[in-house]
Amino acid sequence: MPEIFIDGQRYEFEGEHRVLQFIQDLGKEVPFFCYHPAMSAPANCRQCFVKAGQYVKDRETGEYELDEEGNRTIRWFPKLQTSCNLQMVDGMVIHTQETDEQVARAQKDTLEFLLINHPLDCPICDQAGECPLQIQTYKYGPEGSRFEVKKVHRPKRVRLGPRVILDAERCINCTRCVRFTDEISKSHQLTIVQRGDNNFPITAPGREFDDPYSLNTVDICPVGALTAADFRFKARVWEMNQTPSIDMTNGKGTNIDLWTRDNIVLRITPRYNKEVNDHWMPDEARTAYTLFNENRISRPLQKLDGEQVLSSWNNAYATLMEQLEEVKPAEVLLVGSPHASVEENYALAKFANLNGYRKPVFLRNEEKGKADGFLLTDDLAPNTNGCILLGFDELTPAEFSAEAEKAGLIILVHDDFISREVLTAGQLDGKYTVIFASNHTKTTKAADLVIPVTTAAEHAASYVNVEGRIQRTFRAKETKYNKRRLDMEMSEGRLDRYGTNFDNWVNEDNKIDCLPLWTFISNLTGYMGTEITLEDGRLIMSEIASTIDAFNGVSYAKMDENSGIQLDTEKVSKKVES
Amino acid sequence: MSTVDWKNYTPVLIPDIKNLDQIDVYRDNGGYQALKTVLTDSEKWPDRKSVIEEVKAANIRGRGGAGFNAGLKWSFMPPSDGGPRYLACNGDESEPGTFKDRALFEYNPHLFVEGALIGAYAIEATAIYVYIRGEYKYFIDKVQKAIDDAYANGLIGKNILGTDFSCDFYVVAGAGAYICGEETSMLESIEGKRGYPRVKPPFPAQKGLWGRPTTINNVETLAHVPAVINKGADWFTSIGAKNHPGPILYGISGHVNNPGVYELPTGVPVLDLIHEVAGGMRNGKKLKALIPGGSSTPVVRADQLEGITMDSESLRSVGTMLGTAGMVVMDEDTDMVEMLWRISKFYHHESCGQCTPCRDGTGWLQKILKKIKDGEGEIKDLDLLLDITTQMEGRTICALADAAAWPVRHTITRFRDEFEARCKKSVFAVA
Repeated sequence: MPEIFIDGQRYEFEGEHRVLQFIQDLGKEVPFFCYHPAMSAPANCRQCFVKAGQYVKDRETGEYELDEEGNRTIRWFPKLQTSCNLQMVDGMVIHTQETDEQVARAQKDTLEFLLINHPLDCPICDQAGECPLQIQTYKYGPEGSRFEVKKVHRPKRVRLGPRVILDAERCINCTRCVRFTDEISKSHQLTIVQRGDNNFPITAPGREFDDPYSLNTVDICPVGALTAADFRFKARVWEMNQTPSIDMTNGKGTNIDLWTRDNIVLRITPRYNKEVNDHWMPDEARTAYTLFNENRISRPLQKLDGEQVLSSWNNAYATLMEQLEEVKPAEVLLVGSPHASVEENYALAKFANLNGYRKPVFLRNEEKGKADGFLLTDDLAPNTNGCILLGFDELTPAEFSAEAEKAGLIILVHDDFISREVLTAGQLDGKYTVIFASNHTKTTKAADLVIPVTTAAEHAASYVNVEGRIQRTFRAKETKYNKRRLDMEMSEGRLDRYGTNFDNWVNEDNKIDCLPLWTFISNLTGYMGTEITLEDGRLIMSEIASTIDAFNGVSYAKMDENSGIQLDTEKVSKKVES
Repeated sequence: MSTVDWKNYTPVLIPDIKNLDQIDVYRDNGGYQALKTVLTDSEKWPDRKSVIEEVKAANIRGRGGAGFNAGLKWSFMPPSDGGPRYLACNGDESEPGTFKDRALFEYNPHLFVEGALIGAYAIEATAIYVYIRGEYKYFIDKVQKAIDDAYANGLIGKNILGTDFSCDFYVVAGAGAYICGEETSMLESIEGKRGYPRVKPPFPAQKGLWGRPTTINNVETLAHVPAVINKGADWFTSIGAKNHPGPILYGISGHVNNPGVYELPTGVPVLDLIHEVAGGMRNGKKLKALIPGGSSTPVVRADQLEGITMDSESLRSVGTMLGTAGMVVMDEDTDMVEMLWRISKFYHHESCGQCTPCRDGTGWLQKILKKIKDGEGEIKDLDLLLDITTQMEGRTICALADAAAWPVRHTITRFRDEFEARCKKSVFAVA
C-alpha cells in the first residue's frame, strides 16, 4: 500500500488524496484560509505551506536509497508547497509547522502579510470569536507588527444584496465567496474586482447579490468581510449557545444549528451532513429563526362570547374534556400535521385510539415549482413522510373540507388552513375547534381553544425528510417548565453557566408558557381517567420503534450517532416527491 | 575570451527593407518560403516531428525572459486526440524597459505570423492566438492587417497552401494589465476571465486554453523560426553565445545617445552595446548602473560590467539575468532610491492580488520606499525591506512576487550606501 510520512510518522493511504485534507482527517492541523473541502483549491492564501519531499528510490531495485549514516535520502521540492492542492504520492515526506522551523516561519510571514492591511477591528467585528484569521493569528502569527505605514482603504458597509453586507477592508481575498457562487450555487453573481491590495469581491455593476443561497458566503468567509444584514451587531458568538437542530421550512431536513442567547434564537447556520445538505442551507431557512421568537402563543387561549381571551392550563383541560364528552366519538376529527414531529403526531394517534376516535388524517403542504434540485423542495413541511409512515390518511383539501363539514369537534395541529384557503372561518362556525399551535395565525384566531405547544427549538423530537431520513432536534431554548441547568441535554453557554437569576441578562420574559403536545395529551388523559404516559421524545420514539414497523430499530442514540437514519421508504405507501 | 563578431552581423528579424510589413514586399524577399517548404517539401520535412527536432537543435531559448528551449517546449504537447489544440503567442510585453516585440509588429509582422504558423503546424494546433498589450493599439491593427492579408493569400485558414493543414489566427488585445503577460494568466485573459495566474500543474501543454493542450511562446521566439527552417539549426547555433545562441532584439533605453531596438547576436559585450551600438552615454556622463533585461532583473553596478556579455551565463556571474534583453542604462546622476521606488510602485500597481505575499508585500515595499525617498526612513527600514523580500520570494503561484522582490533586494544590497544616506540618522551612537 502507498505510504506517506508526515512529521516523521508513517501513514498508509489508498486512492487520491490532497495533503491538507489528509492531515485534517488525521485530526492534525495545518492552518489555511482559502481551502474549502467542498470547493476547488486555488492555493491563493499561501497559508497552508508545508515542506514536501520524496524518499529517493533506486529505480532498478525499488529499494530506498540510503545516505552515509544509513538514513533514507530525501529529495525536497525546491520551494515550500501549499498542502491544499498537493497530490499525495507514494513515499512522500511532509514536514508541517510542528517539526519544521522553515514552514512555521513561512506561515508566520503569510499571516504578517494578511494582517498588515486588515483593519484589526476585532472588538467590533461580528466574526470575532469564530474567526479563522483571529484564531490562526493567535496560534501561528507574529507577535506585534512591523507595519508602520498607512493601511489600504477599501469600501465599507457595502450592501451586496438584500441579506449580505461587505466590509472590503477586512477581506483577505480568499475567493471562497466567489467560488461558492461559481461552483455551488452556480449563480456566478460575485467576482473579485480591482488589483493587488485593492482587491475585493462584488457583484457586477447594477446587480444585486440575491442568490437564494447567498448567506452561505457569510459562513465560509474566513474573516468578517461578509456579514449577514440580519444578524450584524446582534450578539457576540461566545455569548450564544449552539444547539443542533433540523430545518422546519421545507422537506429537505437540512441540518442546522440554532444559536440562542437569553432564550431567543438569534441566528441559524447550517450543520455539516454529507447525506443531506453538505455544508449549505438556503437563505429562507435562516430567516425562519423569527418563528421561534416572535408572534408566539403563550398560555392557552379560549373563546368566550366570540372573543379570544387568555385562559389557564386547568381551564383548558377542563374545557376540552367537557367538549369531548358532548360529541359522539365518531364526530371527532383529529388532523395530524406534517409540520409537527413524529412524536407529536404519534401522541395524537394514541389519544384517538384510546378514546375510540377515528385515526388522525393529514394534508400535505406543497408549493409546486419550489424545488430547485438543491436544497429547496416543493414540500413546505418537515415531516410529511412521518405522517405517512404513521399510517395517517392523506386527504386532499376538498376531501378534508367535506370531512370538516360533517365533524362535530375538530382538533388541528399547527396547520394554518385558513391562510392556505383550505378552510374558511365560516366552515368552523358551530363546531368546537381546538388547535395545538406555537404561533398566532388566522386559524388560531378562529379557534375556540388554542393550546400553545413547543416548537422544534423547545423540544427534542424527530422528523422524516423527503428522502425518508429520520433526524431529530434538541432543546435549544427554555420554556416556563424546563431549566437549562437541570436538563442534561441542553447546551449551556457562558451566560447560563456563570449568570445567576439576578444578573440582568437572564430574562424570564423570553420563556414561552407552552407544553410539548404529548405532555398536554398525557395530562389530559390523566384527568379523563384513562392515563397514558408520554413523557419525552426519547421514550416516545422507543415506543414507536417497538410498535410501528416502519420505525423499527430507530432510537435517539442511533440517530445521534449517525446524524439521522435512512428509513426503508418502500414502506411509505405514497412516496413524497422531493 | 572569445568575443562575438557583432559588427558584421546582418539582421534577419528586422532587416533594413522598406515596407516589409506589406505582404507583397515580404513575399518578394523570401517570405513564407519557410512555411511553404515545411508544408510541401515532404523530403526535407517528412513529418511534424522533423520540424520540432530542427527547432530543438537550434536551441532557440525563449525570448520572453525564462529562456526555455522552444523546440523542447513544443515536444511536450501530448499526441493529438482530434480535438482543438492551441498555440498562444505572448506579445503582452509590459515589463518596464522591454519594447522589442513592437519592433517586430511594426516592421516585420509577417515574419512573426509565418513563425507562428510553422509552430502551429509542428504542434498540430488548430488555432493561434496572439495576445498583444492593449496600449499597442497601432500595432494590434498592424498585426491584424498582416493576418487578414495572409488569410486573403491562403496562408491562414482552411487547407493552407493547398495542404490538409488548417489553422485560424486570432488577435486578442490586452487591457493594460502586466500580469496578463504571465503565461497562464494570459490564457485566462484570452478566455475572457480575470487575469489570475493558474496553479501548475496541470501545465498548459496538458490543460491550457479552454482546458485543451496549449503551447505558449513569446512573439520574438516564434519570429526566429522561419530563419531556422530556411538556414538550418547549425546556422542559428553558430551565431552569438554558445549556450544562448541566435540573434536577439536588444531594447536599449535610458541615458544613452541612441536608444532603440537593435538586432544583434546574443553575447555582445554589454559595454559595446552601450558605447558603440547605442552611441555612448548621453552628455558624456559616466555609467552608473544597468538593468540588463527588464525591470525585474537585478540591477548591476557599472564597475561590475567590464567584460560581461549579454548571455545568461555571463550575466549570472554578476548576479543578474538576461530576461528580455530590455536594457535600462543609468548614468551617474540617477537617484537609485527614486529608481527603486518607481519600480516598486509599478509592481504594487500590477500585482493581481491573488496570492497573499505578493498582494500585500508589494504594497508594503512601495510604502517603505516612499518613506525612505521622502527622507522619513530609518536604517532599520532597509533591513525590513530585505526581510519582506525574503518573505515574498518563491512563495506565490507565479513569479510576479519574485520580480517585485529581486530589484528591491539587489538594489539595496548593491547601492546600500545611497539608501543609508537618505535615511534619518540613528539616534543611537555607534560604538
